[in-house]
Amino acid sequence: MAEKACHGVGSATQVGLTQALGEQIDENIVELIRPRITDHHGIYKGQADLDFAIQFFDEDIPLYVDPFLLWNSPSQQDQALHTAITNSFNYLNFLSKKGKPELAIDILVSLSECDEVGLGVSKTRKGSKISRAQAQEILNLFRDIPEYSQFGFTHFEIIQLYIQGISKDRISDFSCNYIKSFLIDYTTEQCEINDIPIEGVILDSVYNYQKNALDINQKAYLPVNPVSKEPIIFTPKRWLRFNPWINYEDYFKSHCPRDEVFNPNEPVERVKVLNFNRENYGVVEQYIEYKVKTSVDCKNDPLFSQIPVLSAKRKLADILKLDTGKEDGADMKYEDLSADLMASLFYPHLDFAQTQSRTESGRHIRDLIFYNNRDIDFLDEIFADYDNRQLVIEMKNVKKIDREHINQLNRYLQGGIGRFGIFLTRNPLPKAMFQNTIDLWSSQRKCIIALTDEDLRLMVDVYESKQRAPIEVLKKKYIEFRRSCPS
Amino acid sequence: MNKNDVDIFEKLSGQLLSVYEEISLLSKKSPNDAVNKFKLKFVNRLIGASNEYLSEKYRPFDDFEVFDEDDVPQNSDVVFILSQYIQCFEKLRSDNVVVGVGGWYWYVEGEDGDSTDEHGMIKIKTVKPKKLKD
Repeated sequence: MAEKACHGVGSATQVGLTQALGEQIDENIVELIRPRITDHHGIYKGQADLDFAIQFFDEDIPLYVDPFLLWNSPSQQDQALHTAITNSFNYLNFLSKKGKPELAIDILVSLSECDEVGLGVSKTRKGSKISRAQAQEILNLFRDIPEYSQFGFTHFEIIQLYIQGISKDRISDFSCNYIKSFLIDYTTEQCEINDIPIEGVILDSVYNYQKNALDINQKAYLPVNPVSKEPIIFTPKRWLRFNPWINYEDYFKSHCPRDEVFNPNEPVERVKVLNFNRENYGVVEQYIEYKVKTSVDCKNDPLFSQIPVLSAKRKLADILKLDTGKEDGADMKYEDLSADLMASLFYPHLDFAQTQSRTESGRHIRDLIFYNNRDIDFLDEIFADYDNRQLVIEMKNVKKIDREHINQLNRYLQGGIGRFGIFLTRNPLPKAMFQNTIDLWSSQRKCIIALTDEDLRLMVDVYESKQRAPIEVLKKKYIEFRRSCPS
Repeated sequence: MNKNDVDIFEKLSGQLLSVYEEISLLSKKSPNDAVNKFKLKFVNRLIGASNEYLSEKYRPFDDFEVFDEDDVPQNSDVVFILSQYIQCFEKLRSDNVVVGVGGWYWYVEGEDGDSTDEHGMIKIKTVKPKKLKD
C-alpha cells in the first residue's frame, strides 16, 4: 500500500506546491500558540469536521490507537487491518520457532515507537523504543504460554497483562507501525481532500505485510512538521481512546483475583500480578471473553467533549457567586471555571487550544486561546478584518477594567492572535474604558470587546435551550461594538 | 379605512396575539433565553407587515423596524415589543369603531355594492374597545 502511495501520489507538482506554500507560510509558524497542522497551512476546519485527529507540531495528542476498536468496527477494512496486526504479531512466534528469535526481536524493537502519528503524552513528539530484553520478554510469551504458542494471540494488546513496562502507548505504537503502510495512504488521501501540502520524505522503516519484514528507508509523500521537517502520519479519530478497551488497570480493578495473587497485608506490586497472569492463562482468557461480550460499550473517545448542560449551569452559578478580586483565590477560581465553560460553549465553532499564563508589567495574566475555524460568517470576518488565526480571551476577575488592562491586551494583539481580542470580565466596561476601545478601533483598527456575567448567563441559557448558539452572543457583542464605532 | 383594511386588521392582530401568547409562555419560563432564528424570522415578518399597516400615526416606536437577528433578542424583549403592537392595533380599532344597536361596529368606508349610509360608510360588527370598562 505504501509503495502504491509513493508511486501513485508523489508527483513533482505536489512537491513544488508544498515548497511554494511552505515558503509563504513558514514565517507564521512562530506566531501561533500550540500550532496544529491545519491552522499552519491555512486550512480552517474544526476537529469536528475532520476524519483524522489534528496533530500538534510540538506535542503529542493524549489519545491512543486501540486495536480493539479496529476489531470491533463494523467496517470490513478496519477488521481486516486488525487481522493484519494480529497475524503480523503472531508471525513473531513463527520466526522464533524457526530459529530466528533475533530477527523477531529486531522487528519488535523497531515497531515499538511510532513518532510520526503524534499520539501519547510526549511533550516533544519523540519517544524511545523498548529494550531488546523487553522484546525478548514479549517473545517468551509464545514459549511460556502454550495457548499462544499453539494458537497465537487474538488480541495482542493482552501483552500489557504479562509484561512490565508495556502499556497503552506501546500497544498504540505497535498497532500503528504494523499498519503504517495503510496509514500513509490514509494520510495522503486526507491531505488531498483537505488541501494539506505533502512532500517527499524518507521513513526509517515501514512494515511489509507481504514479507512480514521491515522495509528500511522507504520514500513516502506525507505532510511534514514545518519546524523539525519530520513526517506526520494521521490516524482516524474512530480508532482513538484514552485507554485501550483491554488494559491492565481495568483488569486489576475488576477482574484480577487479588486474594489469590497477594498474601494478606502484602504490598500490591504489579510484577506479582503479571507473574500470576503468566501462570494462570485461564483468568486472562476469561477477562478477554468478558471484554468481548461487552464490546458493544467500546466506543472511541472524542478529542474534545463538551461539558453537560447541568455542569455548565453549576459553573455559571459558581462564577456568579464569586467576589471580584483575589480574595480567597477568587481570581484563580474564576479563571478555572471560565476556562471549562468557554471551551464547551464555543465548541464546535472554536476549537480550544489551551490556557496560557503570562506575566506583563508584574501582573499575572491568564488567557484562553482558541483556534479560529472560520466556520461562521462572524469568525470569517474577524479572520479577514483582524487577521485572527487564533482568538484570545483574557480573563479578568476585576470589578472594573482599567486603562492598563486594555493596554496589556492591546500590546498582545498581534501576529496570529490577530487584532481582535476579548475580555472575559464581571461587569461591562466603564464608559471611559469603552470609549478607549472605540478609540483603539478608530486609530489602529483593533477591536477589544468585553464579555460579562450577563453575557455568560445568556450563553449558558442558549447552551441549555439550544435556541441559538453561544458563539452568537459573541457576535452580538461585536456588532454592538461596531455600531458604536465611527463610520 | 375600508372593509379590506378590517380584514387585514383582523388577520394581523389575531396573529400578533397568538404569537404574543406563545412567546409569553416561553418568557415566563425563561425570560432571558434567546429566541431562535426560525421564530424570529416570522415575528419579524409579522412586525414588518404591522409597521406597513399601522402607518406612522399608530406605530408604537418610530425607530423600531424589526428585530435584528444578530442582537440575539430574548423572549422578554419579543414579548415587550409584541405587547406594544397589540396595544397600538387596539388604539387604531378604538378610533374606528362606534356603538350601535346590538353592540360595537367598525365604521368604515363602503365600496360599490355595499349598503352604505349617507356618508358612504358601512358598519361591520366588532367587539367593544378593550380600554372601556363594563
